[in-house]
Amino acid sequence: MAPQRGDSKKRKAITRDSPEADEVLLSDGGDEEFLLDGTVSQSEDDSDEEENDVYSIDGGSEDDIRSDEVPSEDEAASNEDVKINGLGTVHIPQKETEDGDLEASNYTVTADANGNPRYVYNSIHPVYDSDDSDAPATTNTIGNIPLSLYDSYPHIGYDINGKKVSRPAKGEALDALLDSIDVPKGWTGLTDPSTGKPLELSQEELEVLKRIQMNEVPEEGYDPYPPTVEYFTGKTEVMPLSAAPEPKSRFVPSKHEAKRVMKIVRAIREGRILPYKPPAEKEEEDKEVKRYDIWANEAPRPDHPMNIPAPKLPPPGYGESYHPPPEYLPDRAEKKAWDEADEEDRDKDFLPADHDSLRKVPGYDRFVKEKFERCLDLYLAPRVRRSKLNIDPESLLPRLPSPDELKPFPTGCGIIYKGHEGRVRSVAVDPSGTLIASGGDDGTVRVWGLRDGDQRWSVKLGTDEAVNVVRWRPGTDTRVLAAAIGEELYLIVPQLVTAEREGPGADITDRSRDIVDAGWGYAASNSANGPSKKQPAAQWIRPASTRLQDAGVLVKITLRKTIKVISWHRRGEYFATVSPQGQSHAVAVHTLSKHLTQLPFRRLKGLAQSAQFHPSKPIFFVATQRTIRSYDLSKQELLKTIQPGARWISSFDVHPGGDNLIVGSYDKRLLWHDLDLSMRPYKTLRYHKKAIRAVRFHQGGLPLFADASDDGSLQIFHGKVVGDLMENASIVPLKVLRGHQVRKELGVMDVDWHPREPWCVSAGADGTCRLWK
Amino acid sequence: MARIKKKGTSGQAKNFITRTQAVRKLQISLPDFRRLCIFKGIYPREPRNKRKASRTSTPSTTFYYTKDIQYLLHEPLLNKFRDHKALAKKIAKSLGRGEVGDAARLERNNSPKLSLDHIIKERYPTFVDALRDLDDALSMLFLFADLPATSTVPPKTIALCQRLCREFEHYLITTHSLRKSFLSIKGIYYQATIQGQDILWLVPYKFVQRVTGDVDFRIMGTFVEFYTTLLGFINFRLYTSIGLVYPPRFNATSDDKGGELSAIVLEGKGVDDAISIQAAPTNGAVDADPEIQQRVDSMDLTTTTESPHNADQGIEIDQPKEPEISDFDPTVDVFTPTAPDADILPQPSQPTSDLALLFANLSFFLSRETPRHPLEFLLRAFGCKRISWDAVLGDGAYSNNEFDPSITHQVIDRPLSVATDGNVNGGEASQSGKTSGSRMPGRTYIQPQWVWDCINEGRLLRPDLYAPGATLPPHLSPWVKPTKGAYDPSAPLAEQEVEGEAEEALLEEEVESEHEREEEEEELEDEPEKSLASASGVDEELDNHGMTIAADEMDVDSEASAPSSFGGFSDNDLALASDAESDSSATRHQRELEAEAAGVAFTEALKPAGGTPPKGILKNSSQTEADMKKRKALARRRREEEEELERRKMMMGRKKRKVVDTMLYSNARKDEEAGKLRAKRRRIERGRGGGLGGR
Repeated sequence: MAPQRGDSKKRKAITRDSPEADEVLLSDGGDEEFLLDGTVSQSEDDSDEEENDVYSIDGGSEDDIRSDEVPSEDEAASNEDVKINGLGTVHIPQKETEDGDLEASNYTVTADANGNPRYVYNSIHPVYDSDDSDAPATTNTIGNIPLSLYDSYPHIGYDINGKKVSRPAKGEALDALLDSIDVPKGWTGLTDPSTGKPLELSQEELEVLKRIQMNEVPEEGYDPYPPTVEYFTGKTEVMPLSAAPEPKSRFVPSKHEAKRVMKIVRAIREGRILPYKPPAEKEEEDKEVKRYDIWANEAPRPDHPMNIPAPKLPPPGYGESYHPPPEYLPDRAEKKAWDEADEEDRDKDFLPADHDSLRKVPGYDRFVKEKFERCLDLYLAPRVRRSKLNIDPESLLPRLPSPDELKPFPTGCGIIYKGHEGRVRSVAVDPSGTLIASGGDDGTVRVWGLRDGDQRWSVKLGTDEAVNVVRWRPGTDTRVLAAAIGEELYLIVPQLVTAEREGPGADITDRSRDIVDAGWGYAASNSANGPSKKQPAAQWIRPASTRLQDAGVLVKITLRKTIKVISWHRRGEYFATVSPQGQSHAVAVHTLSKHLTQLPFRRLKGLAQSAQFHPSKPIFFVATQRTIRSYDLSKQELLKTIQPGARWISSFDVHPGGDNLIVGSYDKRLLWHDLDLSMRPYKTLRYHKKAIRAVRFHQGGLPLFADASDDGSLQIFHGKVVGDLMENASIVPLKVLRGHQVRKELGVMDVDWHPREPWCVSAGADGTCRLWK
Repeated sequence: MARIKKKGTSGQAKNFITRTQAVRKLQISLPDFRRLCIFKGIYPREPRNKRKASRTSTPSTTFYYTKDIQYLLHEPLLNKFRDHKALAKKIAKSLGRGEVGDAARLERNNSPKLSLDHIIKERYPTFVDALRDLDDALSMLFLFADLPATSTVPPKTIALCQRLCREFEHYLITTHSLRKSFLSIKGIYYQATIQGQDILWLVPYKFVQRVTGDVDFRIMGTFVEFYTTLLGFINFRLYTSIGLVYPPRFNATSDDKGGELSAIVLEGKGVDDAISIQAAPTNGAVDADPEIQQRVDSMDLTTTTESPHNADQGIEIDQPKEPEISDFDPTVDVFTPTAPDADILPQPSQPTSDLALLFANLSFFLSRETPRHPLEFLLRAFGCKRISWDAVLGDGAYSNNEFDPSITHQVIDRPLSVATDGNVNGGEASQSGKTSGSRMPGRTYIQPQWVWDCINEGRLLRPDLYAPGATLPPHLSPWVKPTKGAYDPSAPLAEQEVEGEAEEALLEEEVESEHEREEEEEELEDEPEKSLASASGVDEELDNHGMTIAADEMDVDSEASAPSSFGGFSDNDLALASDAESDSSATRHQRELEAEAAGVAFTEALKPAGGTPPKGILKNSSQTEADMKKRKALARRRREEEEELERRKMMMGRKKRKVVDTMLYSNARKDEEAGKLRAKRRRIERGRGGGLGGR
């Protein structure tokens, strides 16, 4: 309290001016009490003065605090008003001089029951800015004790100031009053416990109670949702709310700021802070042109196979010139074709054009496009190393001897031998080169004169079966023909026309007969020595019919299965037959001088197709479907297994030199095997459209071989074998001989060479034999 | 037993990587990958077996070599790309906020600078490697130097390209390493030889380039970025190798005035003062006294003949001087074989120094319609020092005075007017009556092609063939080497023809012309004003063709002499009779046509003036028989050859046969093309002959 002493003193002065104010405050509770209050207080006015003073010091201090916050004149004024109001009874004249108009509206003077003037004040609206405090003004301070305790006293308690609250009037006077006046408005019959007075409620209060009962807002005409009143608006007021002058501080520069600025200034002066400088853009230009030698210490990098440098564009040709030779200019058709072609299909990306002087040359409108495409090529096109052969294709072609050097070879059909009915299955030229033997489906074996084409001799060996194969015995001193029909094999010495019987021909016939007949009895004597346990492989007998014997058929050998192939040993002593169905009897070797048949192979893998004797060594070749095996006859062992790779071998032949084989197959292939080289074919030739039936080397020293095919053609090849081991055989296709007709998918059935001349004879399915020369 | 190999762990499956895989492995975007590939020179590969190379079943299009991609993984540029990506995000962010200033600042200050130096060194470990790959670079940069600046092509790039190209041209001029040039319809090709490497590039004509929408300038810009770096280094190396300072001084004012080549001033390394390639006075030469000029010129000539880099223009480059002692002759000696059976090795025909000084003694003036830049470059590169041109063509000329008497050659490319023709013959052009159309006496006027043809030929050609208004000889590419079987336009037709080709063609022509003639004759018959006598003669001829020759002789004579032009000939029959036999076919043809023009029937015209007709044509039936025989023989031979070829091919393996087949096919195509060209030429020559005859 001490520091505020001054202030409170000031305030006290104000309070002192109106010592009656407290009373007013006290009497604030109800309007009806004013009268009584006034009477009571007046009596004790002087005695209270001291206490009032003390109290007002405290109250003044409280006021002071408030006045600090809101130092408004209005409140002071209103305080004064209230005081004035409160002092109404005492200083009315003074009051009226001060605030006349206010007095008039504030109260009405009526006469009370006793006839005294009664001031009836307007009820105070409990609005916000009224000075009615929230707490109920407790006038009686006795607390919550029964009033009956004060029955013996003239007062009923004490007010806040310790003054007695006198008992209100009672008894006769009142009764009389009551009698005289009717029940006033708002009479309840209740007694206010705090005052002990009858509690009366005004009409407004009653309505308030009623509204409370109705659960409404007690205040009359209260609008819970009033339109908003903007206390502060965006509008600037013409007159400011406060007329306070601008404080000085607003006009005086801030010392603190000055300090901060000086600090920065000092830093700038000392160079601790540098002013902003935009970065220079000059250095960019310098970087664009390099100023040093990047290849100062160059070291070549070895070329890597995966590093493919971009191909350079080809230099321009004559057609690209602005003034090309006239022959390069496109004619109308070419121009049209170029225009119509798709851009990608054009072989040149420009059309040659002629300009007779340089000034007439227009800009090339595809320039940027072309450069762009080049860019795309450089980084998008896959690069591949392609070796381009810039050589003459002639150098790649094999060097072939010219056809003139390869002569002689058969070039055309010389003689046609007609007579067979049905197919001719086999043909053979006799070792002397004068006769041809053929056998066919009609079961006959015929002998023809080679040069004249006449049929010299024929015999019918069977009716129901075809002559599958005819082969002459090698050697010019005899004329023995082996022919196979079905499972029977005949050895024939053809009885030719009489003209030949005399002279040298007769000798040959006799000699042949001797050779063929020499073996008679040998088998019998052998069998006498030891009776054979098994049935012999073949039976050698004389043919039963005399017709055959007369014709010259001397021996009949019966095997178990159909004979397909006969091949003679070069000396004519042995010959082998192959009957593919024969299982263990498939290959039989016959000895002519002993009339003996042996079966050299107990079992063969696959069906035997053909067999041949080696031309000079004791080696025997046997062809099955897939392979050809060579056996050493003296040691009786397997030498080689040749694998031509064909599906089904039809025939094969051994070169007279013995080291080369040709193999024909049903799957259209002709294979040349070099036995020294490999077991696989050296050359595979596929020039036929149908199966190959027969292949044959020329045996008389000419480097020729031929094959016969179902497509009706024979092909003649040049196949030269050189003695030098380093050099491979040279094979040259020479000639395709056409002439045989294809009957029922069969064309040429067999082929044989003339022993000396470059002639060959073929047997066709059309019933003819042909001599090619 | 060996372990079973897992699929896809070795061989092609491992060696090749698809593009998508590569991009994923490098963790960059596809455009960045493309840029990287362009910079690093990485290109897709074609695996031998695509199916084996790709692990998926989908047919992948692009394969890269795996090691290439692995090599890219360590590329410093990758980090730059990533930085750039981060920056792009920042810029996008600030742009999204509307802070344009921030974005601009970021772009200006923080954008990572790509340095391609290390890539140049990697891709071209030696200088020669770089030179070998210069073709595309030069073509591209010369194109960009001519392009207008757009949003896609910033002006800075264009300026840089121009500068680099000019610097390169200056090097070629100083060292005289340009070899050949060719005017094509696409542009001008140049070929230079530097350190043994032939560099060929194409420069477009000065026109606005047509740019279509499918051209992506970003890709081209990437290439240009690389190429500018490359050419910068190459220029540095080239300049320093001949003792010049690099970069040369750039004269901006001259460039603004259209100085082009002269805007760049070369400086020697040791010497302080600047050497200008250009003679300084441009307008001063106009006023110079002709006598002094003459003397200066003569001095000039002597100096230029001594050394390629003449001193009068102030060029002092410390280059190895030509040796003065004749003992050390640097030129190649010519080897002549002593024995006839030895092989003859090819030798360089001409020493390059002679070629370099081709135009050294000449002084040129370029008319304003000629392309200045290529002409200036070529002439300078081949030793010419004094090149003047019209002031319209820009700065840097030796002189702008067209009437400077020291000018020896004027390049002109404008149509001839009658007035100028008269002037040429008149010779004397008075000093007062000088107009740009008039001709200076003693000056050679040529068309621009002369310069190119001279350079390609290696010698100065006859200028009269290239005179203004003359029909120019065809301009031929100097790079086409004569190969066997290919068509060569410079060689006569008869030398190139395949045996029998000409006869066949002639026969065909005759058949054609026969048709034509018959048609014509029919037309003639229809004409009513035709004289009866000649009409009957025609009929006779038509009836018994070739049979009544002897009988008709007299008639023919009279008729042939009827036209006035033939009047003189009929007198000396005998003299012409002997001539007629030796008449070449061309003149015969001409005569035929003349006769046709005069209205004489064909067969009559055949025995034109002389009493005895030329045998070659008149004995028509016998000749055709011989021809038929010849043709038959030819056909038979061809058939035989074909058969022989088939026979030989039969003996080859399948693969080899395919190879041979393709080769034969391509050869046949080439032959066919050459044959077509020959046929065209034959037709043209015939037409020309006909045209002459008709005149």
